[in-house]
Amino acid sequence: MDSLSAATAESFRLLFSGDVALWVIIFTSFSVSLKAILVAAPFAFVVAFLMAHLRYPGRRAMIAGFSALQSIPAVVVGLTVYLVFSRSGPLGDLKLLFTHTSMVIGQILLSFPLLVALSHAAFQAADRRVWETSVTLGATPSRAFMTLVHEVRFGLTTALIAGFGRIIAEVGCSMMVGGNILGYTRNIPTAIALETTKGEFAQAIALGMVLLTLALILNGMLAFFQGRGVMKS
Amino acid sequence: MTEILCYNGLRKSVHGRLLLDIDALEIHERSCLALSGRNGAGKSTLLRIIAGLEKPDSATVSFEGQVLSWRRACKKMHAQVIYLHQNPYLFDRSVADNIAYGLRCRGLSLREISSKVSEALDWAGIGHLQLRNAHDLSGGERQRVAFARARILCPRILLLDEPTTNMDSESRGQAYRMIKRLKDDGVSIIIATHEFHTIAHLCDDHLSLESGVLKPQPVELESGERKIIPYG
Repeated sequence: MDSLSAATAESFRLLFSGDVALWVIIFTSFSVSLKAILVAAPFAFVVAFLMAHLRYPGRRAMIAGFSALQSIPAVVVGLTVYLVFSRSGPLGDLKLLFTHTSMVIGQILLSFPLLVALSHAAFQAADRRVWETSVTLGATPSRAFMTLVHEVRFGLTTALIAGFGRIIAEVGCSMMVGGNILGYTRNIPTAIALETTKGEFAQAIALGMVLLTLALILNGMLAFFQGRGVMKS
Repeated sequence: MTEILCYNGLRKSVHGRLLLDIDALEIHERSCLALSGRNGAGKSTLLRIIAGLEKPDSATVSFEGQVLSWRRACKKMHAQVIYLHQNPYLFDRSVADNIAYGLRCRGLSLREISSKVSEALDWAGIGHLQLRNAHDLSGGERQRVAFARARILCPRILLLDEPTTNMDSESRGQAYRMIKRLKDDGVSIIIATHEFHTIAHLCDDHLSLESGVLKPQPVELESGERKIIPYG
């Protein structure tokens, strides 16, 4: 019990004394996950919109596929990216393994199905009159799309926050394709896993608090962005 | 009257049923056409085709006498024809922003947009609502915003799909007055309705849609008064 209290006290000291090693890890986590979500989201929104808007053969299979891929294990995505970028892999010459770029790619693949599935639900629930009204008032398809995005912004924000929550906390993919290199690819989840196995709980607790705070903030934002929380009149 | 838009051989099937089988439909300048028919007769589908929102199975479209491909006809229609849904959709933003939407699509300057929006708000008598979110308005107020949003774009043709359904008599009266003013401004109007007698005083022509075919119906009495024709 004493050691736990001491570790907790030390974790607060690390957090608030501006410990460089700790804050580099936090920065790496946010930098990689934000880049991944910013790259994945626009493509995911367009794919989701097309699935909701167009009628084409295989559309339902595609929806089911993205829905199923939401629960793909992070470690499987990590393994796939690892095999692709490893020295003997098809893209080994790019030398991207154990870099931020490979971590970003892994997290894009991880978040993409979730973003598509959740944003498809938002577009599917949208009123068809939004698109038709935009078009009849002279909007180009891209402008009508942006208008639709605005109308379903609460649902899309939910998708974004859920997607970000999925990748900021994943450990399997980052560990495999990032390599957990100190000061470079070590992020919050991989650092927590490593420090815990070493018995260095202070840093693990400090990083855990950061993740916990983030989770609370994200869930608070989710509740906020879901609107007034009442049925439309 | 000059012909603006003409459809020949218009066919449209929905779920294997031939919904529209129209040999010829002409829309003339400054005309007001009533399109009556029972629920499910295909009135809305026809209006959506005229607006370029739905593609017919087959049709020859001419715009001002020039035969156009469907794609080119759609471009023309999106620029000059406005379709108002039975319950017009207003975007989740202020009334003024809703009215300015089409002008922004056309790339007008902020100053031009501002002056035209003010004029449209005055025209519809909704200046006091300009900062309100459009989703917080009543049905009648929404209809007036939708009319102002259409009028500001100076369309050649305005398609109204059951514009006064579920309205109280005061709101209906306001809607009729706005339609009349739009007609006086030179806009060609088609009004889909299943209660022709309520709009007979506005219309120059009356077609009814029965089993997918358009049939001309009388509009006026010999005395010159508007004939009240209860449908069905």
